[in-house]
Amino acid sequence: MNTEAMSLQDFRGKLREMSVDTPGRDLTDEDRVRRAKKAFAQKLNGHRAVDMDTCLQCGMCAEACHFYEATQDERYAPVYKFRPLRRFYRREMSPMRWFYRAFTRDITVADLKEWQHLVYDACTGCGRCDMICPMGIKISAAIRVMRHGLAGAGFVPSEMRIIRDEQRDKNTLFGVGAEQLRALVERLGAQGINVPLDREQADVMLLTTAIEVLLFPDAFAATAKILNKAGANWTIRSDAFEAANVGIITGDDPTMILAIKRIVEKASAIGAKTVLMPESGHAYQTLRWEGANEMGEPLSFDVISIPEFVAAEIKAGRLNLKTQTNGASVTYHDPCRLSRKGGVTQQPRDVLTAMGLEVRETASNRRENYCCGGGCGEFVLKSAADLRQKAFEIKKHEIDETGADAVVTGCSNCRVNLMIGADNSGWRTPVTSLVETVAANLAD
Amino acid sequence: MTLLEFASGPGLQWALWIFVFGITWRVVGAVFLLSRKDISKPRHTNTISAGLGAVWSRSSPARAFEKKIRFQHVTGYAWHFALFISVLFFAPHILFFESVLGFSWPHLPNTIILITAIVATAVLIALLIRRATHPVQRFISNADDYISIFVVLVPLVTGILAFTHFGARYETLLAVHLLSVEVMLIWFPFGKLMHMIMTIPARFQAGTAFGRRGVKA
Repeated sequence: MNTEAMSLQDFRGKLREMSVDTPGRDLTDEDRVRRAKKAFAQKLNGHRAVDMDTCLQCGMCAEACHFYEATQDERYAPVYKFRPLRRFYRREMSPMRWFYRAFTRDITVADLKEWQHLVYDACTGCGRCDMICPMGIKISAAIRVMRHGLAGAGFVPSEMRIIRDEQRDKNTLFGVGAEQLRALVERLGAQGINVPLDREQADVMLLTTAIEVLLFPDAFAATAKILNKAGANWTIRSDAFEAANVGIITGDDPTMILAIKRIVEKASAIGAKTVLMPESGHAYQTLRWEGANEMGEPLSFDVISIPEFVAAEIKAGRLNLKTQTNGASVTYHDPCRLSRKGGVTQQPRDVLTAMGLEVRETASNRRENYCCGGGCGEFVLKSAADLRQKAFEIKKHEIDETGADAVVTGCSNCRVNLMIGADNSGWRTPVTSLVETVAANLAD
Repeated sequence: MTLLEFASGPGLQWALWIFVFGITWRVVGAVFLLSRKDISKPRHTNTISAGLGAVWSRSSPARAFEKKIRFQHVTGYAWHFALFISVLFFAPHILFFESVLGFSWPHLPNTIILITAIVATAVLIALLIRRATHPVQRFISNADDYISIFVVLVPLVTGILAFTHFGARYETLLAVHLLSVEVMLIWFPFGKLMHMIMTIPARFQAGTAFGRRGVKA
């Protein structure tokens, strides 16, 4: 397919152009601390309280964190990344606060500044630490509350703030809006790939991401081909196509809810029974698991990831794939928010094996999989470039050890981060998408 | 009133009251910070079984992590196992539990108890040394981490001394042992010894949260 993708170099240039000095909110230090505490208080529920009260400070979580493993810097121990939240809980909300207050230092604006690096640059929210904790503490959920606190205090890093504001105010991301989607749909139409744009009624409403439109239009085209082949009654809406949610990434609730609402309202209006999520782990997690909770009522449609959809269509006999006989092997990179945070682990493997591909597992896989190194919006941060590359090297090493011919993933953010890491290190293993692999093997 | 009379009388009584009331206060207080019901459509609905599964599965690390945390895994088991044997199967301890609970159970020979108490003490000292020297543990540790080790270590050491009648009169050693246990009981609800109570609920809630997403916690 030739869908005029932006080159990786151009995209990296676009990221480099993003200012790191965009002024944030003009707040006093007192205001910042007050707003951080307010966000902490809003998000500290019974579950998080049990977590705060149960932590043994054993430090085992460090052994699961790619950033600690890559640097051996003890500040990157996940338990330390939510230290201000724990201090806040102990001083202000714990049943023992009358006792702890005397021994627990209050949080300061200097703390918030320090933790900006620890929770944005040095945490992708991948949740691998959640899997090692002997107490079952959801460490990544606590670190996410830290992002809420920092967002409230105006400490979202500049690059993230730019794309958050863009999504909130313009309903575009990286400059991709309705116009760019329409142009892509027209180009695909000229190639004979039908994309039913802006239908008023459809069973399946497909979403995509700005990253796909810009960098991976072949993945979008592949999804369209699969849907057409499966005979789905589907559409994509130019006024509500963006699956990515910068609100959840930054910890900014109003933006997160606005982005969810745009999708939910449109899907309900066109009577969609299913909202089909593109290859984007965080987008799936947001709508699938947070959507109903943020809207305050159950969704009127199912939220399905593309690996789940393809696996189900194959099983139902609506999608037939060619079986490769050349002994090709792949390894599957589990996007954290699809696998350990989403439960979609077996389906992509079923799809790959249905095409006759040998799936070679990395030493850490499925729910223990290593993150690509750049999830949760981290890949846009210049300040995190070195850390990201070091974390990528861990991933690269595990992939190399499989000896697989290629790495396949189900998330365009993981894909772009793996490609950037490869670009930096001269790594030659092809990185491709599940959906493109499927589209290339559709049987006649 | 002698030291032993205080330690085995009002001292013990007050310590037990603080222990029970403190634990109740802390658990009820945390539970009252209610969580919103998750209304996303569950992938799996049997969340109770997922919760119980996590209570069990978190007792050992996943294969991907096993090598990296083997020291803590092995010493953790050795420590808890040796401690529980020493506390629960020593004949004089059982007599005390019987006076509180109204029933008893068989005890183990004193030699075995002495060995398990020495093992527990040695492992706890090893864990203390690790906390003070391991880069991550040393960095993240606070007073609670050290206090909680000391308030458990002292009853073990004084228990061994009382058992072996070493260093002072038996009555004095017993009184000091009882007082050290009382300090531990008083500290229990304030520090991280509370994990004894919180571990199962914490693991269970993780299991249910992951379970409804179809992920084995």
